[in-house]
Amino acid sequence: MENRKTLTARVRQLAPELKEEDILLPVDFNLTPTAKKRRTDGIALLTKDRILVFADGEKTGDIPLSELEEVALRKGIGCCFLEYRKKDGSWHILCRADNQYVDLYAAAAKEISRFLEGGEISYDYEKEIDNRCPICHRQYRPGSNVCEHCVDKKHYIKRLWDISKSSHHLIYLSIAFYFVIAAINLVPPYINRILVDDYIKAAEMPKLAGYLAVIAAMFGVYILQKLLGMTRSIFLIRASNRITVTLRELVFDKIQKMSIARISKRTSGELMNRVSNDTGELSRFISNDLGAMTEQILILLAVSIYLFSYDWRLALMIILPTPIVISSYRLFHSFMRHVFHRGWQLDSRENSILHDTFSGIRVVKAFGMEKREISRFDKVSRDLRDTRILTEHFFAKIQPFLNFLMSVGEYFLLYYVGNKIIGGTMTLGEMSQFSAYVSIIYGPLRWLSWLPRRLTRTMTSIVKIFDVVDESVDIADKTDAIDHRIDGTITLDNVSFGYDKTSTVLKHISVEIKPGEMIGIVGKSGVGKSTLINLVMRMYDVTEGAIRIDGIDIRDISQDSLRSQIGVVLQETFLFSGTIYDNIAYAKPTATRDEVITAAKIAGAHGFIMKLPNAYNTKVGERGHTLSGGERQRVAIARALLHDPRILILDEATAALDTETEKQIQDALQKLTADRTTLAIAHRLSTLRNANRILVLDKGELAEIGTHDELMRKQGIYYGLVMAQRQMSRMPSKKQARPAS
Amino acid sequence: MAEQNRTALKEVVSVTYITKDNAKFEKSSDFIKMTATLPNEEGVAEEKTWDRIFLHRAFPFDFPFAYISVLDADTKELGMISSVDDFDEETASLLRAELERKYYTPVIKKILSVKDKFGYSYWKVETEEGEIEFTMRDTFSNLLKVSGTRIFASDIDGNRYEIPDIEALDHKSFKKIELFL
Repeated sequence: MENRKTLTARVRQLAPELKEEDILLPVDFNLTPTAKKRRTDGIALLTKDRILVFADGEKTGDIPLSELEEVALRKGIGCCFLEYRKKDGSWHILCRADNQYVDLYAAAAKEISRFLEGGEISYDYEKEIDNRCPICHRQYRPGSNVCEHCVDKKHYIKRLWDISKSSHHLIYLSIAFYFVIAAINLVPPYINRILVDDYIKAAEMPKLAGYLAVIAAMFGVYILQKLLGMTRSIFLIRASNRITVTLRELVFDKIQKMSIARISKRTSGELMNRVSNDTGELSRFISNDLGAMTEQILILLAVSIYLFSYDWRLALMIILPTPIVISSYRLFHSFMRHVFHRGWQLDSRENSILHDTFSGIRVVKAFGMEKREISRFDKVSRDLRDTRILTEHFFAKIQPFLNFLMSVGEYFLLYYVGNKIIGGTMTLGEMSQFSAYVSIIYGPLRWLSWLPRRLTRTMTSIVKIFDVVDESVDIADKTDAIDHRIDGTITLDNVSFGYDKTSTVLKHISVEIKPGEMIGIVGKSGVGKSTLINLVMRMYDVTEGAIRIDGIDIRDISQDSLRSQIGVVLQETFLFSGTIYDNIAYAKPTATRDEVITAAKIAGAHGFIMKLPNAYNTKVGERGHTLSGGERQRVAIARALLHDPRILILDEATAALDTETEKQIQDALQKLTADRTTLAIAHRLSTLRNANRILVLDKGELAEIGTHDELMRKQGIYYGLVMAQRQMSRMPSKKQARPAS
Repeated sequence: MAEQNRTALKEVVSVTYITKDNAKFEKSSDFIKMTATLPNEEGVAEEKTWDRIFLHRAFPFDFPFAYISVLDADTKELGMISSVDDFDEETASLLRAELERKYYTPVIKKILSVKDKFGYSYWKVETEEGEIEFTMRDTFSNLLKVSGTRIFASDIDGNRYEIPDIEALDHKSFKKIELFL
């Protein structure tokens, strides 16, 4: 994908007769339009009077605008097409490119068609190119203009550092402690030397007091070491917990503020991972690895400096086997990664089988598939066992060998030092001190060889956390958003909407709903009914046009104020884990018990609730499993009513109820909805018999609107739907009658 | 009345098949034109010509050239083709070319490099059509294992790539992808 400037330059090379100002809108493409599969390098462009196409340096198309009617995008699978319609009605392909181009082509098609109708080119389409990182051409995350591939890691670390401001003093303190601890670590071998040289191998009889003092010193250093370590750990754990909590709040807060469109792009599992696992990973890093890293590096430095200043040849000898060991660790590592990865995968597959079968146990049993599930589970279990055995075997065989390799240096040391002692240039105490340091130095070396992987893992978590935190809020309150007390007029003014740039779900819908009116919304599934009410709730922002409540654009009303006055019962009734009371009172925690009972009564829920032994205190299980579909729906209706909303939205709110119960609730609702604007979606048209007007959607457009009687007289789509349902409800009796006829 | 109801029901559930006996396909500019005798809404067979028809695979991974839905310009299904091979060679190759044009899926021959970074993976592969670079998000779930060894990868833009037989890849390529399987 190239921008207009470079494309214009390329076009001018191909067709020098074109002036720069003639080239109105160039787009490139990378697939041949007709042949089976082949990449190409082409440009299609709009000039004042024609559309030209170049492919691989040659002109392959030339369409005068006088013949052209419109340009449109068509999506393929893994590719997309720009097509044009001639005035004679025939369609042709202009160019084809892979899916990367789909948004660009959608925008370009719109602009060209507008231009053909006499409009101006606004170059809005170029946003789709700016949407990508100029370095690597990868699309930015929606709402962001930072390419996580090309971004500087330091940037994220700095952000993290800024966020952890409240813990800086703790971190500084623990770093100071590390220095002290590293220094103290060097002391015991030194005391040891004194012990050996001056007391154990002393030439003359040593004094007992001195001896005791040395032992006491050793003991003291040991205690000090532990105490300091403890304090340091406490500091670090405190810091890491503070940072984690800050981050978790930040992420959770952000997710709550995201629009439904953004949230539904991610699975709930993914979001949960961001909040708990990634922040947990970071916390682990700060409390364990960051500390250990500082400590190990400091110890390594201190001991190395000592060893080298004491005898550099000896030091070299000790360090010599390290590269070999580290590289063998690496080798071992890449193998282990494979095995671990496999184990991890089998583990998650086993989990998903468990989850699947247990939550779908009814289906498994109903179809008699228990045996198949058992064998499926057995297979994964066995695979997992084999992988685990392989891992453990490998560890058991390799680990001792690696450890041995690591300590090979000590044999060199023994030889070298032994010679020195025999030669009399070194004392026994010095030797013991030396070998103590040697054993100290191997620890950090081994540890550091694992470090890169830990850093990558942590870095990945950090990037993922900021990925969520940095996402822009796409449906944000305006700074001057107002709190408005809703009266109930809803105006849809030429509303168009699409979930993405390439599709339109609702087209040019205009309607005015008066306060207190009950509007039924009908139409085939997928026609955009739920989308329409989502727009009224401002779960999404309209693409074109405006929705106004009491004459105020809903984008000017604060979301809190708007939604607190809308009561919704959605198609999928979701109950939180908690009691029935908690669920009804969810939207209005200040509600009195009387209010809750009244709401439940209107919703027809009171009856069944009182039949439960714990009545309103009954806990609803996960997703409300203890209640039936119809019962859940009634609890949800009560929840929406308690809210005392100015606008009531019912999306198939009574679909799971039998007609009798539905009628009861309907009648109760009717009294209630008298002074509330109500939008109700229903497939069962009898549900809408109380509606003042009915809005019929067809192919995303407002096809019909009017009262039941008006629409019946019109004999249009609504009439067809009513007739079809009447036929349907008559069907069973007809069927039974068949054998007799 | 009862009789009519039954017929209507049957219409709703039955699949209209488009075969060499009831339909003819021909190339018309950049698209395929179909002339077919198909039951109309009342269930009565009627010959009609569609200037532009589109094809959609019912089982894109299992049967690329069988169980093909034939759609009109408004994406309404006109009928199903059981298998492209049931038609004469000329028609079959016309349909095949149209399907292959709509489903653009380069075949990966060699994996040159895979970098896993921050939850995204960056791929550089060699395909029949030259070198392609692409990015995958959530790699593990976007590598679709169709049969034991056949794999489809979808990148962040929704482009697809196929590895017909993962075991036929050279050792180095296999090692690179193995981690994600």
